Amino acid sequence: MIMCAEGVTLAYGKTPVVHDVTLDITEGGVGLIGESGSGKTTLARAFLSLLEPVKGRITYGGRDLRQVDMKAFRKAVQPVFQAESLDPRMSVGRSIAEGSRDRAAVPALMEEVGLDPAMAGRKPHQLSGGQRQRVVIARALAVRPRLLILDEPTSALDVTVQARILDLLEGVGTERLLITHNLAVVGRLCRTSHVLFAGRIVESGPTEDLLRRPAHPYTLALRDAVPKLGGEPPVARGRAESAPADTGCPFRLRCPLAVPECESVPEPREVAGRRVACHRAELVLTGLAGR
Amino acid sequence: MIRIRDLRVAYGPREVAHVPALDVGAGECVAIVGESGSGKSTTLLAALGLAEGARVSGEVTVCGVDVLRARPRALRAIRGSKAALVIQSPQAALSPTTRLGVLMRRALALHGVTGAPSQGKTQVQGEPADVRGGGPRRGIEGVMAEACEAVMLDPAILRRYPHEISGGQAQRFAIALAIALGAEVILADEPTSALDVTVQAEVVGVLRRLREERGLALLFVSHDLALVSTIADRVLVMKDGEVVESGQAAQVFTRPSHPYTRELLEALP
Amino acid sequence: MTAVEPRRRLFRVPDRFAAFGAVLLVLIVLSAVFAPWLAPYEENDVRPLESLLPPSGAHWFGTDQVGRDVLTQVLYGGRTSLVIAAAVLAASATVGVTLGVVAGYAGGWARDVIMRITDVFLAFPALLLSLALAVVLQPSVTTVILAIAVTWWPWYARLSASVAASVATRSYVDAARCLGVPASVIVARHVLPNSLTPVLVQLSLDGGGVILTAAALSYLGLGAHEPTAEWGLMVQQGQTIFTTNWWVVTFPGLAILLTAFAFNVLGEGLRGALDPRRTVR
Repeated sequence: MIMCAEGVTLAYGKTPVVHDVTLDITEGGVGLIGESGSGKTTLARAFLSLLEPVKGRITYGGRDLRQVDMKAFRKAVQPVFQAESLDPRMSVGRSIAEGSRDRAAVPALMEEVGLDPAMAGRKPHQLSGGQRQRVVIARALAVRPRLLILDEPTSALDVTVQARILDLLEGVGTERLLITHNLAVVGRLCRTSHVLFAGRIVESGPTEDLLRRPAHPYTLALRDAVPKLGGEPPVARGRAESAPADTGCPFRLRCPLAVPECESVPEPREVAGRRVACHRAELVLTGLAGR
Repeated sequence: MIRIRDLRVAYGPREVAHVPALDVGAGECVAIVGESGSGKSTTLLAALGLAEGARVSGEVTVCGVDVLRARPRALRAIRGSKAALVIQSPQAALSPTTRLGVLMRRALALHGVTGAPSQGKTQVQGEPADVRGGGPRRGIEGVMAEACEAVMLDPAILRRYPHEISGGQAQRFAIALAIALGAEVILADEPTSALDVTVQAEVVGVLRRLREERGLALLFVSHDLALVSTIADRVLVMKDGEVVESGQAAQVFTRPSHPYTRELLEALP
Repeated sequence: MTAVEPRRRLFRVPDRFAAFGAVLLVLIVLSAVFAPWLAPYEENDVRPLESLLPPSGAHWFGTDQVGRDVLTQVLYGGRTSLVIAAAVLAASATVGVTLGVVAGYAGGWARDVIMRITDVFLAFPALLLSLALAVVLQPSVTTVILAIAVTWWPWYARLSASVAASVATRSYVDAARCLGVPASVIVARHVLPNSLTPVLVQLSLDGGGVILTAAALSYLGLGAHEPTAEWGLMVQQGQTIFTTNWWVVTFPGLAILLTAFAFNVLGEGLRGALDPRRTVR
């Protein structure tokens, strides 16, 4: 266990956006799946110690982040944001060396991420989106971190570029927390995954199980909404536009399986090898819930 | 509905798109796929005479109008009514201080849609007569409510302001507007790329239904091969301004003939 | 792997408007700098016998009440006015931007405190505060500079605070924080450089305003005084005889107008040219 969130609630001002989340970053890659407004980026900021929980705690190596030696932590845990996270006025070489302050290491780092070291003097806008993303990765790798927190690292890129970036990320030998809306990417990079809906984790378990046999209706809706090459057109399950419910199960207003019982908050429980917060998980698992 | 022959779009000395042939018939869905800079969006805009500052040559016919030679008034007329453009983020294009209903009513008035039975607009084939006012709900309100229902929006949404609706709702409102104006063909530029997948599924569902029920023609520009493969009849694959492969969707995606198409398919995660 | 059109538009196609303003301003500055060579007469060359001569071949802009050549005085007066403008802008931008950027990046109570201080200064009308200061201190060019700068810097503080606050939310700032870069270095390295564009535009837009305010203070007798040549002072001294000897007022007045105009055109042009939405890629 590298980092843990224990009952973490996060808020901007007085508005809570992440509720009582418990999550371990274990080895083998952890995926955090969610759509816009799910609170996934907020949770990532908390793991990066850019945001303090209003309730609960985040630990690194078993110790609360508030007591951890920040200097060591900053070297060990690094973010990989989207390609836009480069200072537009700074040459990419300087950006890469910003954390390590070791300009001599830049050429080797650039080669490591598949960039021509001759580009070090360029400004970000002189590079393509994929190249910029590689610079962002090199900047993080420069301090030799143990854990990378990847926030939608490929979603703004063309598919062919995205594929090469994923190859690169698979190759770097660090642990990772991958935050994304893209189920296929999680399947490639993460052994375990958590599905976030309206700031709550609704399902956690081995990524393969989650994708093959979802136990939460939201996971199911997500999976079936992803278009598959040559397959049936994506299916909309329930009303995706309904706002999350404030009481009871947050998904119930969108859920095609909702019953009166769903007005009470479902406690996370173990079902078929994963944790799921749903009263109707057994029905979802049968696969009959679909059509 | 749309017929393109030897379309060339150039900015200065640089040719950014060249499409030898593209046809979209009624009830058909044709997709242009490609990565950024492939010229796919430029092609779409040029087909509506919207490629500003570009040199456009060739032959483009949309709903019987010769786009490249038509006078601006004739162009505006088809753009507003028969051929509708749906963009990636319509919310930014909606006036923030105007309720959606007012917006729609103004657009309808501008194009002379009143919903009255005597209306001389071309009837969309296979469409029940009551849409144009023969049924119980007459007039412009009826047309508006009908259009909202066609895209599975609660007509109550017409009382809201643009910032009060979600991205998916805005996209469906844009489509509803096109339907109300009597669109026969929709040209959509990455209409679902800014949306969550669950919402994308809804918008795609709406587009498919309109196609089946109203014989709507659809020209669809997207970078998402998987999505395109599920809804398009025919596909054009573009790269660096050139069409590298075109044909039946099933054919292109199962037996791609061009190495670039293969590369795109293999890149799918 | 080719990056297309890597350069910003600003450096390829200079904005025509900005270029016009810049050229005009450079000409004005040059004419002030080279006044001793350009001026047909000596500065403050009082010739009582040649007072109030209308424009002629010998005195293009005519002469004033004490017989000084108006063209010469306008050229020398530009030195005072431009020095005032430069000093005021430098002082208020330095103070304002420093405080503003710190406030914008730090947020929280630091921002509140700094912004309340600017509110206090902004609560007084600029000219009124300058007036009060100028009354307390001796009327002089230095007083004018001090008085205007005191009322001017809060605008820069406000502007840069709001820009810096938005820059602070950029992901490259977060990335730097995660790399353990100290806050002071983040402000100097990332926030400040990326907040400067609007400040630059504002500076050039304000140049005209400062010159007008300085002229107004001198006009009210609270700024530059004899024998310093200054445009506002010249207008003040000539106003009583405007109906009979129009040239004494008109030429320094035109100089003020033209300079203010040049600053504004440059500012508007820069605003357009530096707008990120207008840069290619």
